[in-house]
Amino acid sequence: MKLIKTIILITFLTVANFSCVQDDDFSIPESLGLEENQDLTQLLTQINSGTIDLMTISHVKSLFVDGEVTLIESNIAVKGYVVSSDMTGNFYKEFYMQDEPENPTAGIKVVLNQVDSYNQFNIGREVYIKLQNLYIGETNSGDGVVAIGGSVNQYGDEVEEITENMATSCILRSSNTSAIVPLSLNLSEINDSHIGMFVSAQSVQFPNTLSGLTYVDPYDDYDTQRDLESCVDSGAIKVETSAYASFQDNLLPTQGSGTLSAVVTRSYDGDDRVIMLNSIDDVMFNSSRCDPLFYDNFAGNNLNNWHVKNVQGEQLWETTPYGNPAPSAKMSGFSGGSNPNEDWLITKVIDLSSVTTANLTFQSVVRYNGPALSVHMSTDYNEGDPTSDGNWTELSVTLDTDTNSWSSWTDSGNIDLSSVTGGNLYIAFKYVSTTSGSATYEIDNVLVMGE
Amino acid sequence: MNKYLIICLSFFLYSISSFAQSDLVIETSVDSTSIDNSDKLIEDLFSISLSDDELNDDTSASDNISGLLNSSMDVFYRTAAYEFSPSFFKVRGLDSDNANVLINGINMNKMYNGRPQWSNWGGLNDVLRNQELSNGISASIYNFGGILGSSNINIRASEYSQGGRITYSSSNRSYTNRLMATYSSGLNDKGWAYSISMGRRWGNEGYQDASFYDSNSLFVSVEKILNDKHSFNLAAVYAPNRRGKSSPNTQEVYDLQDTRYNEYWGWHDGEKRNSRVKRVVEPIVIFNHYWTIDTSSSLQTNLGFQFGELGNSRLDYGGGANPSPAYYQGLPSYFLADDDGPDYEGAYLAQENFVNNGQIDWNRIYDANLTNNIANVNAAYVLYEDRSDDTQITINSIYQNEFNENISFSSSLNYRKLISDNFAEITDMFGSRTGYLNVDSFDNLQYDLQRPNLVVGNGDIFKYNYTIHADELTAYSKVLFKYDKLDIFLAGSYTNTQYQREGLYDNEANTGNSLGMGEKISFTGYGVKSGLTYKMSGKHIFEFNSAYLQKAPSIRNTFTNSRVNHNVVGSDASGLINNNPITEEKIMAFDANYIFRSSVINGRLTGFYTTIKDANEISFYYADGVIGFQDTREFIQEILQGIDKKYFGLELGIEAQIISSIKLKGAASIGQYTYENNPYLYLGADNNTVPIGSSNLKNYKLAGGPQRAYSVGFEYRDPNYWWMGLTTNFFSNTYVDVSPLTRSQNFYLAQDGLPFSDYNPNIARDLLKQEKFDDYMVVNLIGGKSWKIDDYYIGFFASINNILNQEYKTGGFEQGRNANYHQLLEDVNNPKRVFGSKYWYGRGTNYFLNLYFRF
Repeated sequence: MKLIKTIILITFLTVANFSCVQDDDFSIPESLGLEENQDLTQLLTQINSGTIDLMTISHVKSLFVDGEVTLIESNIAVKGYVVSSDMTGNFYKEFYMQDEPENPTAGIKVVLNQVDSYNQFNIGREVYIKLQNLYIGETNSGDGVVAIGGSVNQYGDEVEEITENMATSCILRSSNTSAIVPLSLNLSEINDSHIGMFVSAQSVQFPNTLSGLTYVDPYDDYDTQRDLESCVDSGAIKVETSAYASFQDNLLPTQGSGTLSAVVTRSYDGDDRVIMLNSIDDVMFNSSRCDPLFYDNFAGNNLNNWHVKNVQGEQLWETTPYGNPAPSAKMSGFSGGSNPNEDWLITKVIDLSSVTTANLTFQSVVRYNGPALSVHMSTDYNEGDPTSDGNWTELSVTLDTDTNSWSSWTDSGNIDLSSVTGGNLYIAFKYVSTTSGSATYEIDNVLVMGE
Repeated sequence: MNKYLIICLSFFLYSISSFAQSDLVIETSVDSTSIDNSDKLIEDLFSISLSDDELNDDTSASDNISGLLNSSMDVFYRTAAYEFSPSFFKVRGLDSDNANVLINGINMNKMYNGRPQWSNWGGLNDVLRNQELSNGISASIYNFGGILGSSNINIRASEYSQGGRITYSSSNRSYTNRLMATYSSGLNDKGWAYSISMGRRWGNEGYQDASFYDSNSLFVSVEKILNDKHSFNLAAVYAPNRRGKSSPNTQEVYDLQDTRYNEYWGWHDGEKRNSRVKRVVEPIVIFNHYWTIDTSSSLQTNLGFQFGELGNSRLDYGGGANPSPAYYQGLPSYFLADDDGPDYEGAYLAQENFVNNGQIDWNRIYDANLTNNIANVNAAYVLYEDRSDDTQITINSIYQNEFNENISFSSSLNYRKLISDNFAEITDMFGSRTGYLNVDSFDNLQYDLQRPNLVVGNGDIFKYNYTIHADELTAYSKVLFKYDKLDIFLAGSYTNTQYQREGLYDNEANTGNSLGMGEKISFTGYGVKSGLTYKMSGKHIFEFNSAYLQKAPSIRNTFTNSRVNHNVVGSDASGLINNNPITEEKIMAFDANYIFRSSVINGRLTGFYTTIKDANEISFYYADGVIGFQDTREFIQEILQGIDKKYFGLELGIEAQIISSIKLKGAASIGQYTYENNPYLYLGADNNTVPIGSSNLKNYKLAGGPQRAYSVGFEYRDPNYWWMGLTTNFFSNTYVDVSPLTRSQNFYLAQDGLPFSDYNPNIARDLLKQEKFDDYMVVNLIGGKSWKIDDYYIGFFASINNILNQEYKTGGFEQGRNANYHQLLEDVNNPKRVFGSKYWYGRGTNYFLNLYFRF
């Protein structure tokens, strides 16, 4: 009996030692990140020893050949800082990175077969990509957005996503996450060199006509582009939002203006430069709207906003199917030869009573020789004959002087009208021609802003 | 000496039983040998684990009543328990909610789904073997029971004979190890008796990958017999348990991995970690008063109290990618089904990836949350438990009277009240310091408008939170007439059931129909049973039973989406959907039995016929592309209302003692279980309801195990106390669970309400044909030996099941995607189906070894 008892006790004690099973107490795995760290350490060593060349994003983008996909065969790598996030679903299976956290000089797109990549490649994360055996190209041929991809499509003209498996070995994170300082730009300053960068568009707003609309038109299946306009210049860009973005149903904040920080890229078809939000938290419209006190781009193909005053000659100010963009307002004293003319194009009354600063901008182009256009303002004009009605002050403006080209549209520069705020104002474009010379002037995008 | 042993054991078991566990079936030991009942040595040889097949009790496929049957003396029922149950065989095709389990007169079937929660008392086999079983339609003295019978487990301390027992088992089925120890005092001079039992079952992995098992059990029963008339018993059962669950998978997944594959786990620092753990901690306390009024009558009053927690864990991924390694977008079939033609390269890479890394990537999950800490955004992933914390009190009195030797009468009054708190609770934040947002990430709607954009952390409730209040009052009487040739019984019962939902969250998508008390729903149930036994002679007995029941649907089949709203089957916030309110189920059952008994042959042949009418079924799934909802991707409820089902067939059990050492056994169940009508189908998603119309299910087979099963075998019992047995079992007519949605007009109608212009009825017929699984054969071997040493007994037995390693499907269901002709045809025409049916496979060769020591 003693024997049996002993056997049983030993059995019990033995099995007790093996009785640990999964419990509830799991902590952060110790193996977390080890492999990635090893891979990164190895990569950095190879970079230091020169076996792998670390290229700039600009350099990598320069490997792109229009309409083609380029296989990277050499042993190179690129470093960047993530600037996009798919947390809200506005980006899908892609992220953008730029070469520096602050004052970047280039940005690039990375496409990968991974959703919710924001929780791995967070904004500001320093990322190294080993490029050997990856591809440089566009995801939509001709869209003008250079991307790093993992394979090439069947037509050989587009890159496709880096698979998740591949991504673990070729996209390596460092432990650094830097604060991304958005590049502050006015809308007219944004150009294709900013594609892939996180920029902060200054003093912008959505047009009043979008009031009551949402970021995404419910009838759009994929994405919607909404115009964004500048308070400070004549630049414009479209805000593109995916129908899968969590904020797609949010109303556009048309009640104010301010800064909008987002990633510059191009639309799916490549036609438009667009800006894509990571989150609507990046839309900070804390100022009141900046709708122009006067604006005409002549899109209505009429001069309804103007008084057309003919002082001399048969020719008049009129609209023309050309412009920047077309149409615009045009005046020429030439008709079978140069004719003497004096013609004023005067704005309808501009109310400056509620502002303390104001600013005029427009664009002009000139062709053929003749007396130069002049621009004037008056606070006491009564809409009669401008040669006798009102006191006119000539304004110092920049006009096009290249008489040989229709495409030399020239910005007027900011013309400060602050000295005449507090009441009514008229702006006049005074055209003069003689028998010896009649230039043709076109003016467009006449804008008076005030605050 | 004995005491010394007990103390050692107690101490030891206590020291190891710090955790919880989960086993799902009562495992009773049975004296099946019955050749020589006087020989105590070969008692209790059967102690087979039927166990964990009820694990997947989220699905009806695995729901059977084998736990009830293994203590039966009937050869058919024993065969069903030991040989058929691993195939998900269901007696008469019926679910376990048609059978009742009582412990000392307290009904243990859950009001939630009507089923016994076997794991509440798992691992206590030694003390649960005193069972009074009433099989089939017959009624017990305790309660009316269902149409599969009932079993009262008697745990009165005075009923255990003095002695102890220690058992160790080893297996690769569900647990790896089992240790049980029991000691019963017997009744002493002062009228006291006690019995204690402790058990532990554990293992890192059962047959399925990462299906760990961790279960402790503790049982105490104490009885004081005051005098001839009064006795009191107090008992407590505490069996906390935890189990790692395993997944059903598509054939594609099984082909790439194997039939043990389980998508729910992944490596966590070298340890297999299962994301879906079922945890049950529901202690039971039962107090009984036994009053012997006089020689012919008695009154038993029982008070039962059960409380505790039931949790099912899973991953929530509000800010991350679906962590399922078998997510359809990561499998080769998805790439082969590419719109631009098969993407072979993608499929190859997906295959490589799935074969090599086809498990949950815990590191990625942690990394995501740690990354979000850096970015200061909310956690991407959390682990949480769907909790159902019940508090139930039951009180009843059972009066018995034997008027004379021919007539006896019993009657009972039973009341039970359930308060069930249901909520989701976060159990692991995976390193997040930023918290998790209590917002539905699919549609950005608030889970609780009372506290919008709430950030929750470990231990916090989120997602949903509600309480179900349920009350049930039952009166029951039975009268039995017993004569030499004829026994007749009549039984009747009346039940009033009330359910009421109380919403604690104001779910945004359901606001106005979510928070606060919902309407009280009341059901009236009644039932009559009658039976006649004609004893033509000692050899030939004929028995006929019939029953008609009207019973309340279970809580689960009443509320269509109780997590978010008050809706019950048949109506939504704006009223009735099909002008047909929820009603009681009507069950009609009849059986005729012929029982033959002789010294050599015992057998029973039964014919049965059962209909169930007005049943409801609610399924939940994510559906892509279902017409009628705002979003194409919706979490929907599919409600089938007014289902009629028909079950009929034959049962045969026969055993022949051809010589004293050899017994031949045979059993068969040949049934046909079908849908009997075209029930009404509608879909719900939050406050939206999409009426679909009738689902043409009539004559489709009911899923849930083989409808035909046969067993032949023999037992050899050597005079030297060893024995062995071999059985061969055949199974056929197992069917997949069909999707009702594809059998509705939704299948062939385009969005304009007209049939698809290219609809081809012949192709459609092929597409909608119910899959019938292959027939298969399973061979089981069992053997054992026992010794007597002094006054002690020691013995073992071992069984090897499925020794031919037959691979077979035990069940499966069609996925609820591809709801129309075009989608289904496209999917079927893919090189590999993306949304094929999901299946369960039976176990390959597996073993069970049992050692015991009795004193």
